[in-house]
Amino acid sequence: MKGKYTMIISIGLATLILTTVMFTQFKTVEQTDITAIETMRETELRTELANWKTKYEEMEIKLTETESKIAEYQSQVSNSAESETILEKELNETDMYLGYKKLQGEGIEVVLKDNSNTAIDRWDLLSIVNELKLAGAEAISINGERIVSNTEIATVGTQFILINGNRIPAPFTVKAIGDKKYLESAITIKGGYIDEMKLYEKTVEYEVKDIVEIPAYSGKIKFEYAEENK
Amino acid sequence: MIYISIIIGCILGAIIGMNTPVISYTYSSYLAIAIIAALDTVFGGITSVIKKNFDLKIFLSGFFGNAILSIALTYLGERLNVDIYLAAVVVFVGRMFTNLAIIRRYYVDKWTNKFAELSSKNKK
Repeated sequence: MKGKYTMIISIGLATLILTTVMFTQFKTVEQTDITAIETMRETELRTELANWKTKYEEMEIKLTETESKIAEYQSQVSNSAESETILEKELNETDMYLGYKKLQGEGIEVVLKDNSNTAIDRWDLLSIVNELKLAGAEAISINGERIVSNTEIATVGTQFILINGNRIPAPFTVKAIGDKKYLESAITIKGGYIDEMKLYEKTVEYEVKDIVEIPAYSGKIKFEYAEENK
Repeated sequence: MIYISIIIGCILGAIIGMNTPVISYTYSSYLAIAIIAALDTVFGGITSVIKKNFDLKIFLSGFFGNAILSIALTYLGERLNVDIYLAAVVVFVGRMFTNLAIIRRYYVDKWTNKFAELSSKNKK
């Protein structure tokens, strides 16, 4: 009888332990979030890790692609910005060179006047323009007409001098921008322009100025017949 | 008698188990295999009671020994990258079915005998 009780009690105790552990396990299984990383088994973690690795690699490839694209765009942008500034600068310089810009700077002002004996003719104007250019004048104008590459100084009939297609009456004010010492000495040199004019009894006055203003060329330079010879 | 103790054990175990803290999921696989081993031992114990060859030493050593051994095997399997716990599950569940079959047969026989006795008594 004693053996029977120990048997019963021991089996009961065994069931007690068993069910305790079982319910703990039930609770654990129920409450655990299987998708959470902390609760995953090693194999699951391994597959997950492999998935993420492939994803990461894909993303990295995409990233490098995108980065290279961005770099390309950036270089394009900087190139275009650079070329824009260069172009602008070039355009400005070309405009200045062609005479499309108003200019100012140190220089000389020469006034040629008719007097009772003689009149100023186009050769006088041509030779002073020539002399000034020789002395390094950067911009020249006569009575507000800018002297550009295709400017003519011509006589129409006997009364008018034609510059840039406009009739220019006397007196003629020739303005030039450049090194004022060179310009002055170029025309005042012994046997130079002024001496020559005095020889022919023509009235010449000149003034060296710190600021000479020269207007822009108002016409247009067109090429109808000429084209680039490549 | 034995079933009353089992039921009391179940109820008490359920109440205690409800109030225990949750164990880490990592160890729950070991615990599960231990549960199966213990379950097998309990069924084996019931079978031995029925067969009247119940030995307390064998029962208790089986109860704890099987649980510990199955846990150790599961751990070894994890180390070897072989699912040894599957073998343990197969063996224990197979034995459980065998024991259940023995228990079932015993009671089926018992009840048929009782019914036979009752019917023979009625005939008398």
